[in-house]
Amino acid sequence: MKSINTALANGLMRCHDCGWLSRISTHGSKLEQHENCHCEQCGSHLHSRIPNSLQRAVALVMSGFFLYIPANIFPIMTVTKFGSGDPHTIVGGIVALMHSGMVPIAILVFVASILVPLLKLISMTILLLIVHHRWRINGRIWARVYRAIAFVGRWSMLDIFMISILVSLVDLGGVAQIIAGPAATAFAAVVVLTMFAANTFDPRLIWDSQEEYYEH
Amino acid sequence: MSNLTLEACAECDLLLNPKQVAPGEICQCPRCGYRIQQPRRQSIERTFIYSVTGLALLAPANLLPILGIKVLGNIRDGNLWSGVTALFNEGMWAIAILVFLASMVFPALKIILTLLVSGYLYFDKPGRYLATWMRYLHHLEEWAMLEVYTLGIIVACVKLAGVADLRFGYGLYAFIALLIINCLLSTSLDPYSFWRRIRQMQREVRHEVH
Repeated sequence: MKSINTALANGLMRCHDCGWLSRISTHGSKLEQHENCHCEQCGSHLHSRIPNSLQRAVALVMSGFFLYIPANIFPIMTVTKFGSGDPHTIVGGIVALMHSGMVPIAILVFVASILVPLLKLISMTILLLIVHHRWRINGRIWARVYRAIAFVGRWSMLDIFMISILVSLVDLGGVAQIIAGPAATAFAAVVVLTMFAANTFDPRLIWDSQEEYYEH
Repeated sequence: MSNLTLEACAECDLLLNPKQVAPGEICQCPRCGYRIQQPRRQSIERTFIYSVTGLALLAPANLLPILGIKVLGNIRDGNLWSGVTALFNEGMWAIAILVFLASMVFPALKIILTLLVSGYLYFDKPGRYLATWMRYLHHLEEWAMLEVYTLGIIVACVKLAGVADLRFGYGLYAFIALLIINCLLSTSLDPYSFWRRIRQMQREVRHEVH
């Protein structure tokens, strides 16, 4: 079988941190056995592919999906004015922004806190399915999707930072107060989990899964 | 040491011959399009200067009031730290810790580590921990979220603008300056050439010993 000219196929592995190529030690051909090797340049753990990348990414993405539900059902913050509370969900906050005429900001918040986490979870799921089932795909496009996921994930923290500012400023006793709700924790967990999932997923696996199609 | 003549793409593992790339040009992986090299002019010098500036801005950006409101004669000012404590006092300790790390600890660590690495390289001093610092920097990068925090400030301003008078503190100017420095840092620091320089230094030290 003709295989593509990867470092792994040539008995080499690239250090994930500094990029140094090391020879895969000859005693043992299994990838797992290299977990105790260290890069001679920077001392980082060496492995051809991130160990248990698929299993760990699946676990993180699934937890992300489950937490996405409470993040959208429960109130993310409660605005109290003169004693009467008014709980907001994520969607409610966006609708409130729309009603006050701040459409561009409403779109920004919608993209950052609803669209991005959801698209991220869905495309991570598709990537994991591609690698697991070895579906035939255009590697360049999906590599780009992966890069977009890795880049865009942190911007969802926008809502959490906004809440921390509002909570600290609007604390005027009986007059007005903003309190963070349970959805904030769930939402922050979704963001962090999906970021971990993107880091744990090894993009080399996309290309490994396409290897059998190259001979034709 | 024959490995030196080859390199592999970080995203698809394709084995490649390293190219000499001129500053301003981009070297992409032919298979997946990953940007392998993107050399910058005077990368070390610029990174060093920016990180010194960043270090000077850390204290005012973190300590001075950034944003304040005035409602019915009540004035409240807030900075990065007061957001963290307010969340903590409400019992939202998980988010408080996350905000504390992403808005204060990691940006500060990023500046300090960049300063250390670029300082050692600028003065041509081989440091024992250079590689370790570079590694921490590599993992830290995406968790320092100053840019995202800035958007958070903007959205919070918009939400508050209708109900309260906003007051902008000196901390806001320091914060925005720090944000700009952060952006300049990520365009000036070229990990590829930094690692190459660190390796070169380690080799020179080894030659002197033997």
